Amino acid sequence: MSVTLTVNGEERTFDGDLRLPLADMLRDQLRLTGTKTVCREGFCGACTVHVDGEPMVSCLIPMGTLAGRSVVTIEGVAGGGAQMNAVQRTLLEHDVVQCGMCFPGMVMTLSACLEKNHAPTREALKAELSGNICRCTGYERILDAVLSISGQEGAVK
Amino acid sequence: MSDASYADRAVMNFPRRDAQDKITGRTRYTTDVGGSEVIHAALLRSEVASARIVRLNVEPARRMPGVRAIATHADAPGLYGIGIADHPLLARDVIRYHGEPIVALAADTLDQARAALALIELELAPLPAVPTMAAALAKDAPLVHPDWKSYAVLAEGSVREGNIAWEATVARGDTDAAFNRPDVTIVEGCYQVGRQSHVPFEPRAAVVSFEDGRFHVHTSTQVPWTVRSVTATVLGVPESQVRVTVPAVGGGFGLKFDASIEPCAAVLARMSGRSVSIINSRREEQMTCLSRENAEIRIRSAVTQEGEIVGREATVLMDCGAYGGEQVFLTSMTAHTLGGNYRLGSARISSRAVYTNTPPNGAFRACNGVYNTFALERHTDEIADAIGMDRLEFRRRNVLGDKDLGATGQVFEGDVLGPMIDRMETLRSKSGDREALADGRLYGRATTVGTWFIFVGLSAATVNLNSDGSATLVTTGVEIGQGTMMQALPQIVAASLGIPPEQVIVKSADTDAAGRDLGVGGGRTTVSIGAASAAACEEVKDKLLDVAAEMLQTDRAQLVLANGRVEIAGRPGTGTTIQQVIAEVESRTGPVSGNGAFTAPGTATALPGCVAGHFLEAIDLPVFAVHDCELAVDPDTGQVEILAYRVVQDVGRALNPRAIHGQIQGGVAQGLGYALHEEITINGNGAFDQEGFETYHLPLAADVIPVEFDLYEGAPSCGPLGTKGAGEVPILNVGATVACAVANATGRKVSALPLTPPRVMALIDDRQPELHHDHISPVWAENTLRSA
Amino acid sequence: MDITTGSTFLSPDTIQQAVSVLRDLDGAGVPLAGATWISRAATRCETPPGTYVSLAGIASLHEIHIDARQVSIGSLATHAGIAEALTGCKDLQALAMAAGMSATPAIRRVATIGGNICTTAFAPADLVPPLLVLDAEVEIQGSGGTAILPVAEFMSQRRDRAPSDLVCRIIIPRPARRSAHARLTLRKAGEYPVAHVSIAVATDALDRIAEAAIAVGSVEATARRWPALEAAIVGLAPDPAEMKQVAVAHLKDFTGRDAVDAPGWYRERVLPGLVARAFQALADSEGGAS
Repeated sequence: MSVTLTVNGEERTFDGDLRLPLADMLRDQLRLTGTKTVCREGFCGACTVHVDGEPMVSCLIPMGTLAGRSVVTIEGVAGGGAQMNAVQRTLLEHDVVQCGMCFPGMVMTLSACLEKNHAPTREALKAELSGNICRCTGYERILDAVLSISGQEGAVK
Repeated sequence: MSDASYADRAVMNFPRRDAQDKITGRTRYTTDVGGSEVIHAALLRSEVASARIVRLNVEPARRMPGVRAIATHADAPGLYGIGIADHPLLARDVIRYHGEPIVALAADTLDQARAALALIELELAPLPAVPTMAAALAKDAPLVHPDWKSYAVLAEGSVREGNIAWEATVARGDTDAAFNRPDVTIVEGCYQVGRQSHVPFEPRAAVVSFEDGRFHVHTSTQVPWTVRSVTATVLGVPESQVRVTVPAVGGGFGLKFDASIEPCAAVLARMSGRSVSIINSRREEQMTCLSRENAEIRIRSAVTQEGEIVGREATVLMDCGAYGGEQVFLTSMTAHTLGGNYRLGSARISSRAVYTNTPPNGAFRACNGVYNTFALERHTDEIADAIGMDRLEFRRRNVLGDKDLGATGQVFEGDVLGPMIDRMETLRSKSGDREALADGRLYGRATTVGTWFIFVGLSAATVNLNSDGSATLVTTGVEIGQGTMMQALPQIVAASLGIPPEQVIVKSADTDAAGRDLGVGGGRTTVSIGAASAAACEEVKDKLLDVAAEMLQTDRAQLVLANGRVEIAGRPGTGTTIQQVIAEVESRTGPVSGNGAFTAPGTATALPGCVAGHFLEAIDLPVFAVHDCELAVDPDTGQVEILAYRVVQDVGRALNPRAIHGQIQGGVAQGLGYALHEEITINGNGAFDQEGFETYHLPLAADVIPVEFDLYEGAPSCGPLGTKGAGEVPILNVGATVACAVANATGRKVSALPLTPPRVMALIDDRQPELHHDHISPVWAENTLRSA
Repeated sequence: MDITTGSTFLSPDTIQQAVSVLRDLDGAGVPLAGATWISRAATRCETPPGTYVSLAGIASLHEIHIDARQVSIGSLATHAGIAEALTGCKDLQALAMAAGMSATPAIRRVATIGGNICTTAFAPADLVPPLLVLDAEVEIQGSGGTAILPVAEFMSQRRDRAPSDLVCRIIIPRPARRSAHARLTLRKAGEYPVAHVSIAVATDALDRIAEAAIAVGSVEATARRWPALEAAIVGLAPDPAEMKQVAVAHLKDFTGRDAVDAPGWYRERVLPGLVARAFQALADSEGGAS
């Protein structure tokens, strides 16, 4: 049995064990290693991808449930190539990143969050990030960077 | 060229060049190396804490699909360690901790490797276990290392016996006389802390190949040279046969300040002829973490009514776990932390690293400084209360200042802590207090001080000047996220050579390319690697300026490197481009490069006779901190909410203030985890109860607040441009400050960390008797192997 | 649905297909909803089940129907979906709040109500206390036909059910009442609850409690109602501080479970405060959002 889905806009067919988590298919088969597997329990958010536009933890999604779905990873969230979206650009400008392992997941969650709500409060962002852990930065500078672009028209593009 | 202009050029918020790849998910960490080139290793780990291996048969695993190599102790028989070589890579005939690796196996896929491990026949005979330090120190306790006497001791001056892996003591002055004075108040306290797990998001991982008769270890480490020597030691090969390279590292915090699983992959790589990837699973990472150790402390002080500390005695028990590891070295740091901060008339300190049948511990951001500061500052608040003095005033009167003696008798330079307390008062008054936010809950606040050190030591650097005017900096420094390799170092080199920092290429760590280095951690990258880099630049500068003086027919003393040129000082645009000078030097003597080396200055010395068993008798480069906290305790749930957190940090000189801000915010967050959320408990099987993120609670975004901070510059420092490393010390005082504030809020004695909600609730409800360590004698001399 | 011998993943299109396949697999296969529990088998050191029978393809299981008389929630409805669908249903806020606060935002998008009530080894299941106070019923379809049971009864006998019995719908009646939920985690969020409390209250003309339902979860292995407290607060004003006092008097009704995250005594100890929080949430919702 196989499953066909879209990954970063490209159609892909997967015919391995359909119980395999999406994170492993992305990293091992497609070599899209931007999605990180850290806790494999769904608590840390480092493996966050968009499935049909919604941020989800790819370590807990079996391939068999993804037939016909659209998956976007950190490699594709800004359209691919060398582009960055507004969330990525503000994180860069504020020079926030440290070890970097949690940032792909952070970007995926924050990008979707800003799409839905252009002007979130700091508290709302923190609630949205309860499933994205960072061990290095202590979060607040990430939030400063994101709040600095919130409230702007077309914030995420 | 004046120092001022060099500093002007070096200080900037230079953005890190690795940020974009990290933000777009392109960075390849060690855990991202894969594909069909690589086979996968897994480890068979013990599920009991203490046993004899009666029978081990790996043959059933060898026949399983995809299996390429299997290794046991016989394939890697060397013992390694810090201070004592007591640690086998794979268990030989005895298991000493739950999770100890016994067999390493490589197969085409990880699933195949794990399936094969499941077929290994392992027969164990249980042995008595010592689960706690109290049990380890009891009369007739079973020995974790019955052969302890036979181990090679890698450093002099050891005092060890039985389950005491190492002991470091300080005895300065006459504490008996001090305690017998009629005019003193004696205050005593017992304290206890659990372990803390670093949880870098990239677990320990390595990819190892055997190429041209040598091991190439590509690994997520902070210490390439240690990995090199440990791999050589356990495999029984010359160190020159091991090469270590290090890509971007996804966090370390000290977990990776030692070798661990790399040699397992190395032996499998040689056996199989393939590249072998080994990555700890999250469960393995959590359950065999080289944690910040759990510890038990007893401290007592004799203090006059005016607040003079005439005598202080303390005993600290530090849990090594099954092997000595970093704790052996860290016994030296008790004197400088628990015995730090304040002037002491006399002092006796005993610091004992104790073996138990639990996972080995290691180094974690400010190590035992964190819990020693907690115990010391709690004790200090209790002293102040006992003599009726304001807690901050007591500190003001007693903090170390210029020419004061430390616990080991070293002489401190400069008044640093005193002025830093002033700066904290200013910071506090600027932002005002947050009591109103407590909103009906119990409100508390505290200010604490701390002393730590910069881990100076061996570093080497080479600077190659390229014909286009760029410079390549070659060191074995590693970028673990702290930013130094991306910011401070290129800033220093750029300022030295008068080129833009974008033109400084920083070579990633490769032990085949650079000289020896103690590693990244302990705040040493900026200081030690920075100093070596600055020295290398001086050599390059000499070569350039000598020739440029001739080229420009100008006195060498008038020439500077600035703006990509060799110019006359104070006259920008004169002289010539650096490229032209480089070309001239190359034509005369060949390509331009310089080498620099650095080691501990050894300028600080202890008083003779005070100190025994110490790796570090005095600290060459102390670093100080003042922290302040306001919080609210919910009496219905025991939850603690931080309302304000303030830091004054002794940075020497802030090379990249924005980066330091990041380290302070991150370090305080990690400290809040230590103080309030992160708990490791060990069950009857010698295993951690907390196996993953469901039960090991890291602070989340809602659990932290923005830290207010002030960077204190100007304290004496041997670091380049007067810097001190800034990455480690933000965590030092957080446990102490939160604990003192919770004690203030609840009116209860806080003697233990972490202050999780159930523990705070138990405090408020007076559920538990006062902490008392029966196994630490109130008579100090009974807590040391040496005669007093 | 294509069933190949030795298939590890099956996707039935109808409930009957799912029941039939699960019966044939006889325990070797498990129904898959949000997959968040099953996907962590390795973390729990369990062998993953041989075959996943995904229910995601069965359209009716995703449906949420709301009318004045009752709410019907398909077992595959997600926490996030439920929280959103029930916005504005004042009587059902216990469920809306619990579903909107559980776990993390990403987990809420995939975890289902069916998975939440069917996972037997999961003491802190977020959605059970709200269903208990809202008098919810569970519709099960299996080889023996269809059955509808009160949630409490389902919870007590779920381990004894055949592997091919499927929870298909949760049905909640809508008498006049208001409800709320309070959840305690050790950090601010991102965890399973150490203890949680749901309340559903009907008041009389004088704003006194006429009828109350209170359920406590995560304190014991299975969530259950608190009948002694329910009886004791009838006739009182729903004032949080007073509710807390009455709760203190009835704490002995629960024996907290010791677990790695917290000891049993602590779970009991926080209950009165949680009851107060739930009543405060009720009062807040009265004054504020629809």
